[in-house]
Amino acid sequence: MIENFLAVDGLEQSFGGVMALAGVGFQVPEGLIYAVIGPNGAGKTTLFNNLCGFYRPSAGSIRFNGYELCGLSTHRIAALGIARTFQNLQLFFNMTVLENVMVGGHLRARTGLLAAALRLPRVRREERRLQEWAREALELCDLTDRAAQPAGSLPYGLMKRVEIARALAARPRLLLLDEPAAGLNDTETLALRDLIARIRATGVTVLLVEHHMPLVMSVSDRLLVLDYGSVLAEGTPAEIQADPRVVAAYLGGAVQYAV
Amino acid sequence: MRLAGFGAFAAGVTLLPVLFPDNYFVTVVGVSAGLHVILAVGLNLLIGYAGQISLGHAAFFGMGAYASAILTTRHAWPSLLAMAAGLLIAGSIAWLLARPILRLRGHYLAMATLGFGIIVHVVMVQATGWTGGPDGMAGIPPLNLLGWEVDGDRRWYGVVSAAALLTIWLSLNIVDSRVGRALRAVRGSEFAAQMMGIDAAGAKTQAFVVSALFAAFAGSLFAHQQAFVSPDSFSLMVSVDLVIMVVLGGMASTFGAAFGAIALTLLNEGLVVFEDYEMLIHGALLMIVMIFLPQGLFVGLSQVGRRLSAVFYCQTEKR
Repeated sequence: MIENFLAVDGLEQSFGGVMALAGVGFQVPEGLIYAVIGPNGAGKTTLFNNLCGFYRPSAGSIRFNGYELCGLSTHRIAALGIARTFQNLQLFFNMTVLENVMVGGHLRARTGLLAAALRLPRVRREERRLQEWAREALELCDLTDRAAQPAGSLPYGLMKRVEIARALAARPRLLLLDEPAAGLNDTETLALRDLIARIRATGVTVLLVEHHMPLVMSVSDRLLVLDYGSVLAEGTPAEIQADPRVVAAYLGGAVQYAV
Repeated sequence: MRLAGFGAFAAGVTLLPVLFPDNYFVTVVGVSAGLHVILAVGLNLLIGYAGQISLGHAAFFGMGAYASAILTTRHAWPSLLAMAAGLLIAGSIAWLLARPILRLRGHYLAMATLGFGIIVHVVMVQATGWTGGPDGMAGIPPLNLLGWEVDGDRRWYGVVSAAALLTIWLSLNIVDSRVGRALRAVRGSEFAAQMMGIDAAGAKTQAFVVSALFAAFAGSLFAHQQAFVSPDSFSLMVSVDLVIMVVLGGMASTFGAAFGAIALTLLNEGLVVFEDYEMLIHGALLMIVMIFLPQGLFVGLSQVGRRLSAVFYCQTEKR
């Protein structure tokens, strides 16, 4: 297990004078479920957008598996083994569920323009493999019977799961989940907790931004608490729940969470 | 499904001249429609699938045409070699242009491609020593396919039909592949596409270059078939017509684009009898189609057909 699988150091991001991130640093060991919590505007999504190259940080460094991510474009960061889902859905609504998830396998395939246009035998073989990989990811997310439907025709909760399946089809080493439980009902949230645990069991490190405290506290190995763009606390769920600063700033009273 | 549609289209194209031999609408209008199919199917990859507009595509059509015209008449190149040169020129210019121009979005991209189309058109008109200027160039020899000369309407119908079927086949293959899914992903959500490892700028460039190549291919055939080229055939109105074909047929559908190309060609031909009112009726019809079938003729009509058959099915069930 690599202790500093993901190592963020002194990360700063300012938007016209507003410090969205003011020197954030933490380390995610490989194979854990690591949650980032904090009130709205604490900088969680900004952190994610820095991790995947959508924003350029003003200062600091992000090292993933030994590679510096700052300055890389999004598709190169993806190629290093990072996948993510989005807080507001970013499905390809112009495609079926299966095709969406097949796009997730993009980096695991090689077919180029000319070979695709001529539909060479090796292209057909690769198409079949991409479909297989996509079906495996759909299976893991209990979406097998939805494969042929247009992505936009699914209920909201299932669309969120298609995003997870699509990210998994990339076979990432680090999976970023941005508020996967937002908008889900209790049953769906329980199913999501099982799914996250199953994903970890396949060897994927999970970085989770989430507001649903029962889910976060029950599924995470470690937590990072952000407040006004700075790290307020870091530790195991038990440590975080006992931390008076966290309780004061965020949790709002001594509440024990369990699902 | 993909192959069934292709087979039906191929069968229709083959049967028409058998059923209506020497019919003006088949052998003359059909050739023009076939060239439009090539252009629209290529442009649809860019507009319908990659979600990027081009209002200057007649420029690439013209490059293919003028390359064939100039190289075969002045330099006596074999026609196939001249065609290849035209493809190379149009493809290279599209590739060089793609990165800076496809950074722009929406209206700005429309403006930039429009400007490009106008510039190329001005060059065709003004560079008289090279292009023959507004009078154009005549005396382009017939297309020579390894010794087989393409002359006469029926041969042209065969060659253009085969070329159109080829481009439809290539387009279907591209769309239903890793490359095509990447294009569609960029249109669906550019950020998510990049997060899946797709180089969005690269994908857009590919679509732009392929659509330029298809256009240049059609241009080369056009030059040989007409034996004459002039800047009028590559004006801004032609670019606009090409976009209309894609939108009219239904975006993001290869058969839709082909259908739109054929429909618009027939419409323009059919409306000639109205003389002065031609453009008026033309515009009104387009407005009506867009209001009532916003997804385009092909997609819209097939949905209407499905609904009608469902209604019919329900009624027979009741009885």
